[in-house]
Amino acid sequence: MPRDILVLVEHSAGKVDSLSSQLLAIGQRLAAEMKVELVAAAIGHQIENVVEALQAHGTDRILVVDDQALPLASAEVQAHVFAEVARQIAPRLVLIGYSLVGMELTPAIASKLGINALTNCVNIELRDGTITVTRPLFDGTMHAHIAMEENVTAVVALQKGSVPATAPSAKKAVVQSITIDVNSIPSRSRVLEITEEPKGDVDLGKAEIIVAVGRGIGDQEKIHFTAELAEALGGTLACSRPVVDVGWLPRERQVGASGKSVAPKIYVACGISGAIQHLTGMRDSKRIIAINKDPNAPIFQVAHIGVVGDLFEIVPALTKAAQEAQTR
Amino acid sequence: MNIVVCCKAVPGLVTDLKIAADGKAIQYQGQLLAINECDEYALEEALALKRSHGGQITAISMGNIKALDILYYALAKGADKAVRVDCESQDPKVASTVIAAALRKLDFDLVLTGTQSRDTLGGQVGIVAASLLAIPFAYAVVDVEARENHTVKVRKELGGGRYAEVELMLPALLCVQTGIQPLTFVPPARRIRARQQPVASFSVADLGLQAEQLVTQGYRFVGVRPPERTHQVELLQGSPQEIAAALLHKIQESL
Repeated sequence: MPRDILVLVEHSAGKVDSLSSQLLAIGQRLAAEMKVELVAAAIGHQIENVVEALQAHGTDRILVVDDQALPLASAEVQAHVFAEVARQIAPRLVLIGYSLVGMELTPAIASKLGINALTNCVNIELRDGTITVTRPLFDGTMHAHIAMEENVTAVVALQKGSVPATAPSAKKAVVQSITIDVNSIPSRSRVLEITEEPKGDVDLGKAEIIVAVGRGIGDQEKIHFTAELAEALGGTLACSRPVVDVGWLPRERQVGASGKSVAPKIYVACGISGAIQHLTGMRDSKRIIAINKDPNAPIFQVAHIGVVGDLFEIVPALTKAAQEAQTR
Repeated sequence: MNIVVCCKAVPGLVTDLKIAADGKAIQYQGQLLAINECDEYALEEALALKRSHGGQITAISMGNIKALDILYYALAKGADKAVRVDCESQDPKVASTVIAAALRKLDFDLVLTGTQSRDTLGGQVGIVAASLLAIPFAYAVVDVEARENHTVKVRKELGGGRYAEVELMLPALLCVQTGIQPLTFVPPARRIRARQQPVASFSVADLGLQAEQLVTQGYRFVGVRPPERTHQVELLQGSPQEIAAALLHKIQESL
């Protein structure tokens, strides 16, 4: 009996999240190769728009759990609901996005189902008929290739990557409603409210040029090198998480999974190694320039142009060149 | 409030990576083990909570004898007790089973740990352990507030600048984000003194675990190598001035 591929869909404001779209495209390709069905599951309340949007993603079935308690349900409850949906269709593979929400739910869902989770994956494919995933190790300097054993079910959590296009599909997915008594699910936590980071003076989302500084700058006193470059290029200064964690720049300048996602025309990464949390927020930039002294830094996997060298030599030289070009 | 901090000893530079003969683990030569940075933030948060609410902090780590170093470090930082679980596994399901079994032996209101370890980058063990213990959990926590009625209120990241404020009944497990507290420096004298303190040790037999619970199942490693670049990066060379001129040209043509 064929066992299907289940994609757990994340959505907000009636739209399917881009990472979920990526999973559906990957799921569609895998399902075709494995000759099984692609099933999407969405949970929430009054999510007709999401279900409608899912029709464009080549799924065979769409499972919907609609309950007014779901939008503000605790992680315990959400994991319980997703696990119950998975249990009902007994899939071969459960795909989920490695977003912050996915990072929290994936281990809980896998644990409830008593199966493995393979998290933080950058790729999943069939190799000689075996489901094989690729995931980083050791700060992303190495990739492990892992083959799932035959007939074993796992939850695979995939990082945001370049989004493959969904093959157009004329078929209309069957929408199936699943009733789960959400209020009766035991939970020892509750969501009080959802808040947004207050808008600061910096709008990274609108910047055409971003100069981003990472831990490689080494010292708060030296941030000015990158600030000057940003100014000379007419761009905006941004940073990776470690720079905010130590208090060198405010949170509003943070690019990455927990901060802002950006896609400027130019992204200059100075002393940023390229932890996945950072890459997630900037890999869609049109042209990525990376300056880093470590040739194996993961940032060079997404960079278009790289300089392996001392940022304290390169950055001031570039600032000077940009200033001279302006005055000419 | 009694707090257990789960911390992992992780290698710095690793070399000679290869896959174990049975495909179930990655073998490597690792240099000095240090406390996983994310977990150090969990320890700092525990110390901050202890300063304002009292209680005891127990640092726990699963690993071989080399993991003792980070437990002494935790004691030097201010943990009251340390426990080493004598077991090695890279598998998150096995590690969570062992950690959950060890937590059952300890008295705690709150378990704190980091979001992921820099070696295996899985980010699973905390939450799977919480699920096994049937206690509430939160991930990517950036603020913890202990409350009167045996609950904590936390703020956790949802990504993209959004947060959820969540109330959890104790006991609970929190995976804290980096930056939740500043990292503090430990004077060498305290580190030396900490090495005089006893560290309790649990074997897997002490925890009542069976051999089959410690076996990695369901997958095998088929390769470990540096990442393949999805697109070739163009590397610029020359003097800083030459590189700057080339970069400026590239920037101008992209606008």
